[in-house]
Amino acid sequence: MGGSSKRATLVKRAGLGLLAVALLVIPLFSSDFTMTMIIRYMYYGLLTISFGFLAGELGLFSLMTPVSLTLTGYTIGLCQTKFDIPFIPSIFLAFLVSMSFAALCGWMADRSQGVSFLMLTLVFSQLVYSLALQWTSMTNGTTGLLGIRFPDALEIFSENTKVNHYYWTLLIFGLTIFLVYRLITSSYGLRLRGIKNSETRMAALGYHTGLLKWSAFMVSSLISSIAGVLFVYNTGMINPEIMTLNSSNQALISSILGGVDSVLLGSIVGTVINRTLELTLGSLTRRYATIVGALFLAIILLMPEGLISIAKKLVYGKDGRPGRPVGGTVQGQSAEAGDGAGGTGAGLRCVTPGGSPEEALASGGPGDVVSSNDTEGTEEKGGKMRR
Amino acid sequence: MIYLSTFLNGLTIAGYLFLMALGLNLSFGLMNIVNMSHGTMYLAGGFIGWTVLTKTGSWFLGLLSAGAAMGVFAFLEDLFFLRRARGNMTMETLITLSVSIIGADLIVGIFSGRTRQVKIPKLLQGAFPVGDFYFPKYNLFIILFAVFFGLIFWYVLKRTKIGMIIRAGVDDQEIVSTLGIDIKLLFSAIFTLSGILAGMAGMIGGTFQNLVSGQDSSVMVYTLLIVIIGGMGSFEGAIFGSLIIGMAFTFGSLLAPQFSQFFLFAPVAIVLVFSPRGIFGKGR
Repeated sequence: MGGSSKRATLVKRAGLGLLAVALLVIPLFSSDFTMTMIIRYMYYGLLTISFGFLAGELGLFSLMTPVSLTLTGYTIGLCQTKFDIPFIPSIFLAFLVSMSFAALCGWMADRSQGVSFLMLTLVFSQLVYSLALQWTSMTNGTTGLLGIRFPDALEIFSENTKVNHYYWTLLIFGLTIFLVYRLITSSYGLRLRGIKNSETRMAALGYHTGLLKWSAFMVSSLISSIAGVLFVYNTGMINPEIMTLNSSNQALISSILGGVDSVLLGSIVGTVINRTLELTLGSLTRRYATIVGALFLAIILLMPEGLISIAKKLVYGKDGRPGRPVGGTVQGQSAEAGDGAGGTGAGLRCVTPGGSPEEALASGGPGDVVSSNDTEGTEEKGGKMRR
Repeated sequence: MIYLSTFLNGLTIAGYLFLMALGLNLSFGLMNIVNMSHGTMYLAGGFIGWTVLTKTGSWFLGLLSAGAAMGVFAFLEDLFFLRRARGNMTMETLITLSVSIIGADLIVGIFSGRTRQVKIPKLLQGAFPVGDFYFPKYNLFIILFAVFFGLIFWYVLKRTKIGMIIRAGVDDQEIVSTLGIDIKLLFSAIFTLSGILAGMAGMIGGTFQNLVSGQDSSVMVYTLLIVIIGGMGSFEGAIFGSLIIGMAFTFGSLLAPQFSQFFLFAPVAIVLVFSPRGIFGKGR
């Protein structure tokens, strides 16, 4: 590891420290609006992380990330507005409901790979969406559940409700981020990235890849469920709008804008950019979805590593990754994955553009989409599926 | 008797969904991507057909222009975007997803997203008496149209050289390209064809129901359900899948209107549990 890596660590730590202090003191001198915005960034950020965890660690693109959020939200809402169940049991029940559903979906989704996973998760999300829409006696249809109150017992940080909400959200957000960080940098995270690079190899090494994938799906759903708790108590309502195809797309767009491989930082940066664009462009033009969609298309085609790659190039130098030689075949998959423990997203770089010579010809040249690391995953899976 | 009319309605819905599923299935089978902009092509085709109909007064001209416009659209999408990511199926699918996001918003922008009723052409207005109820001529037209296209595709796929190349491409692209066949051109052609089918399905389905923004994603989901049930990339699967979904749709609405949408997903879940690749899915 060279000097650039040390500098990078320093920059990273200083940045994180500054950000933490800033987030802690913001309520002292900012308006309710700013706090509402930051709270929004936080729960949507968790939703994006829920997507990014599967996409970045396993290479599985899910279109059902908001499902766990919705199930948690509806359960909490129903517990409070219809059944008068107290706070703690309702939270418990909410997680039970959303995680049971996730356990079932994870089992089915494990049987599909790559593009069919995307398709299957879309169908699952539409199933829950149609249930939320049509089971009007329980869910009130499009109106949804309104007037969900923040539990009184939790008013401990401040007299001001907004400030209190803010600190609770920040606490839970911070804790979740920390846990996900630990998970990614643990050997568990390594195993997941091993599956992403070569599922057959991990199976040959004796790992139960099906179980690992299922557990990753559960982790992703858990993050989304936590986002659901934050969402429902902060907005005080839940309706089917949060889990339309568009809402799933927003999580996907945020993650890819920031950088799919950077599960934590990329997700948060992407969410902040996407949601800020939504707000600012939304007030300027009614066609902001076109602009966001075009931006998304441009990112996929021109910068598949996301906006975070710009920041990485600034910090680490041209190569954009911590101290390692440019190019060369030395960057084997295992070595690359082994380095992943060092930083959140740094170890997930492209290995070799896998695939046939025909594919290499089809791609325009270096830096093309084909050379993104997703190729490796899908190719591997494509090969496996064919057998 | 109510069951017979429900059955015929289910057959009608299966008819235009079959056109959708056929295109999606072809592009999936050959290129291994899920074209998420397929629903957008349906809705855009419907709106374009409606515009031509109101301008010229000819429904059939509307049908042709809907197909042609969406064919061009699909060709350009393939040429400018999909080719750049060829081989990386997830990326290609994400590109079609972004096209669908842009398309859905532009449809609202251009056609204002209000509900549009497409008038049934004079030739197909009216109904036949079937038992003690009347079966609209137009519904029969949809069914015949779908059967007609099904037969053409069946013939081309199973009996002609082009069909042989396509089927070989579904099985193994690399070998096909080593035989000197321009696989790029084949991909473009199939994707364009699926666009034409989606555009025409939009005009036909839009006349049967209404055209309204947001329909792009619901039709997309129905088509996906068909493809998942039938088996991805399978021609027979598209037929059976659209029949199952068409029937589940109408009988679900009849027997349990509150959960009609939900009952669409029940057959999918059952099929997935017993045969994860769909009824006619090959081991891909």
